Amino acid sequence: MYTAAQMKWDEIAVLVDRRLVSPDAVLLHFESSKLATHFVPGQFTMLRVPGDGSLLRRPYSFCGAEPEQGRFSLLVKVVGEGTRRLAELQLGQAVRCLGPLGSSFRPPQPKIRPIMVAGGVGIAPFVGFCQELARCRYRGTVLLGGRQAQDLYLKEDFERLGMTVRCTTEDGSWGPQGVVTDLLSELLDGGEPVCLYSCGPTGMLKRVSAMARDRGIPHQVSIERRMGCGMGCCLGCVVFTQIAGETNGQYRRTCTEGPVFDAEEICWERDPHPL
Amino acid sequence: MSPQMEPDLSVDIASVRLASPLIAASGTFGYGTEYVEVADYSAIGAIATKGLYLESREGCPPPRIWETPSGMLNAIGLQEIGVRRFIEEKMPRLRELAPAILVNICGSSLEEYGELAHILDSVEGVSGLEINISCPNVKQGGILFGCDPDLAARATEVVRNGTSLPVIPKLSPNVTDIAAIARRVESAGADAVSLINTIPAMAIDVETRRPRLANVVGGLSGPAIRPIAVRMVYQTAQAVGIPVIGIGGIGSAQDVLEFVIAGAAAVQIGTMNFVDPEVWTRTLEDLGDYCRRHQVASISELTGTLALEEEDS
Repeated sequence: MYTAAQMKWDEIAVLVDRRLVSPDAVLLHFESSKLATHFVPGQFTMLRVPGDGSLLRRPYSFCGAEPEQGRFSLLVKVVGEGTRRLAELQLGQAVRCLGPLGSSFRPPQPKIRPIMVAGGVGIAPFVGFCQELARCRYRGTVLLGGRQAQDLYLKEDFERLGMTVRCTTEDGSWGPQGVVTDLLSELLDGGEPVCLYSCGPTGMLKRVSAMARDRGIPHQVSIERRMGCGMGCCLGCVVFTQIAGETNGQYRRTCTEGPVFDAEEICWERDPHPL
Repeated sequence: MSPQMEPDLSVDIASVRLASPLIAASGTFGYGTEYVEVADYSAIGAIATKGLYLESREGCPPPRIWETPSGMLNAIGLQEIGVRRFIEEKMPRLRELAPAILVNICGSSLEEYGELAHILDSVEGVSGLEINISCPNVKQGGILFGCDPDLAARATEVVRNGTSLPVIPKLSPNVTDIAAIARRVESAGADAVSLINTIPAMAIDVETRRPRLANVVGGLSGPAIRPIAVRMVYQTAQAVGIPVIGIGGIGSAQDVLEFVIAGAAAVQIGTMNFVDPEVWTRTLEDLGDYCRRHQVASISELTGTLALEEEDS
């Protein structure tokens, strides 16, 4: 577990299975033994659907892995033309997937309970991560928030992995009405030693970061940015960071030093990004 | 040539022989080592590095990129590590990987261009200097030099005096007469010119009325700008005697050939490498096929061979 992948490939991955997980999202299973066996949870792939009108590839987090079958999955929420085309890909069709790219989640310290905080499709990288946690016999908690019940993707999958799952929606259609940081706040008041992992909208990540910082809790955050190359060359996906011991901060690449960062390294006040 | 003969795809740029006419464009290939796992470097003739100043630079705030139809808008603002760190940390590996290295240099002043040339002159493995006088995203230097024929010539001259390496000014499309600037830098001692850099451009989110880029204005690259680049290469090649390196949305052999026929001796590939890192091998193979099909022994024979209808006499 957790040996960061060194190699990268531009693989032809064939769609072998799909599952509708909500009216607006599908879980796509692709066959590529290289990617399935080498990605580490938290990492991502850059892909482009054939015939898509867009020019650049788009980043997608690796979701789950089935290394024995040489398969990996991607969670795709339809938000525009590109995601719609990807979601409508037919079984047997192939896409080029460049990866595995970027940094990955580091495991919790022994006897520390991992808490995964996710908003909407931010749940995606936690599928693979919780598979690894389950394999290593960690007991974790997944906090999942969405606008409405249909945004609570894959919650049953986490229950099957033995994770404690708690959900909340802004409209109250599933679980208590509220936002995911409300759930987190209650949980942190319990006083159990924990560490946090978060992925979702920037506003949520900022709130989780503030809560973790105030309480001195370790927190790894997976951030999403527009990317040009995914390979560390275009410098389009940067986020301002300052690591311990560094006099001045600097822009670091979400595709290379990230997408998983120690939350305390990110200078949120210098991050105007609307995503 | 006989059909079984392998066409010669090598080209000469000033005193440098490139085994392939395809050069990795500055700012799209990092410090040259990033793509080693997914791109076949043997198909790449040379690598132009990320633009370098004497000192490191932070770059523009994000958002820095935005996709437009067939194009990519960027305002990176030359985030870079400074020339000395480049030489110390990046050159050793790059030297092993790259068949030829063009170091792209940027100055906030004429003196800085001169000093960079002087520093890089004695660095082992550097094949030539590409002078960035055309970056649209920095407040000092960059495009200011490239839009003024006098400053473009003076920057070229300063670099020329600082090095015996081939000197290649990279020209901005943001000018009225690119051929006139090309002639001036040629007179100032340029060994070749490369063009075009990105075209100043912008995009707006109408819901929020905010600019898509924090810098408001950025540079447009990709296939969207290719016909403009072909036209400018054509005009420049008519005007100068030195080799012209074509740049602008190139992603296939067909694209390369357009530039070559318009007058380019070699080309650079940038944005399209992001889309498909196999662009190098596929393009080189297809260039070979074209040469065989048209019985062309060497790709350099095709440079500037645009067929125009004869005028009525």
